[in-house]
Amino acid sequence: MNEVTRHEPQADVAARERRSLAMRPPVDIYEEDNALFVVADMPGVTRDGLSVEVDGNLLSIEGEMHIDMPEGIAATYAEAQAQRYARRFTLSHEIDTAAIEARLENGVLQLRLPKKEMHRSRRIEIRAA
Amino acid sequence: MFGDLRRFDTGASPGLDWFRNWLDDILQEGGPADIRSVPRGSYPMINVGRTDEAVRVYVLAAGLGADDLEVSVQDNVLTLRGRRDALPARGEEGDRRPCFRRERFDGEFARSVALPEGLDVERAEARYHDGVFEIHLPKREELKPRRIEIQAA
Repeated sequence: MNEVTRHEPQADVAARERRSLAMRPPVDIYEEDNALFVVADMPGVTRDGLSVEVDGNLLSIEGEMHIDMPEGIAATYAEAQAQRYARRFTLSHEIDTAAIEARLENGVLQLRLPKKEMHRSRRIEIRAA
Repeated sequence: MFGDLRRFDTGASPGLDWFRNWLDDILQEGGPADIRSVPRGSYPMINVGRTDEAVRVYVLAAGLGADDLEVSVQDNVLTLRGRRDALPARGEEGDRRPCFRRERFDGEFARSVALPEGLDVERAEARYHDGVFEIHLPKREELKPRRIEIQAA
C-alpha cells in the first residue's frame, strides 16, 4: 500500500485523510409493532449535509457538519475530532427499505424503518377450549 | 479547525496511523488529564478555539433547541446546564418493544470548561443552529495582539 500512496501529492493525501475521519454518532434503536426506529445524534448537520442510503441490506448514515468558523481559528480544546459523522447498520429482511422515512431536527436524525406488511405483528387470540 | 484536531491525540505523527488511534481508543491515556476533561462521548461535546480577537466555544448538543441551554460564566469558568430527553415518553404506534441500543445521553447535564484569562464576558454572544451552540467571547482590547512598528534609527 505504501508503494501506491507514496506518489500522491501531499495535499491530496491530507484531504483524503480528513474526509475519512468520521465520528460514530451515538444511536438509540428500538422497535415498535410496525417499525424499527433509529435515532442518531448528529449536531451541526443540516439537511443538505445529510445522506441516508440503503444498498441491499446495508443502511449508511453520513453527515457533514456545517459550522461557521472564522479565518485563522486554532483549536485549544477539542472533544469532537472530526467534521463528519458516519455509521452503518445491516438491516434484516423484513424491513421495507423503500418506505424508510428520515427526519432531522436540531441535529437529531430520526429514521423510521417500517416492516413489510406480512411481517407485522398480529395479536393471536386465545380461545377458550 | 475541526479538520486538524487529530493532532490532539496523535501528537507528532499525523499520518494514517490507524493502529495507534485504535490503541488510544481502547487504552486509558497515561498522561495527566485536564481536571475538567471528560471521557469521549460525553454529552454535550465541547470544542474551544481561539482567534486573535476572541475565544469561541462550540457546544455540540443535538436535540436541544435554542432556549434549552443555560450558559453562564463565573470566574473564567464557563458552565453549561440543561436537560435532554433522549426519546419521547411513549411510542406513536402502540406499545414500545425492545430497545436494542441506548447510547444517546438522557437526562440532565452540567458541564464546565475553564476559559483563558482576559475575556470580555460582558460582550459575549451566543448563536444556535441545528444542535450546535456557538459562544463567542471577545478578548479584552489590551490582550489582542498588536503590531509593533520598527522605526529607523
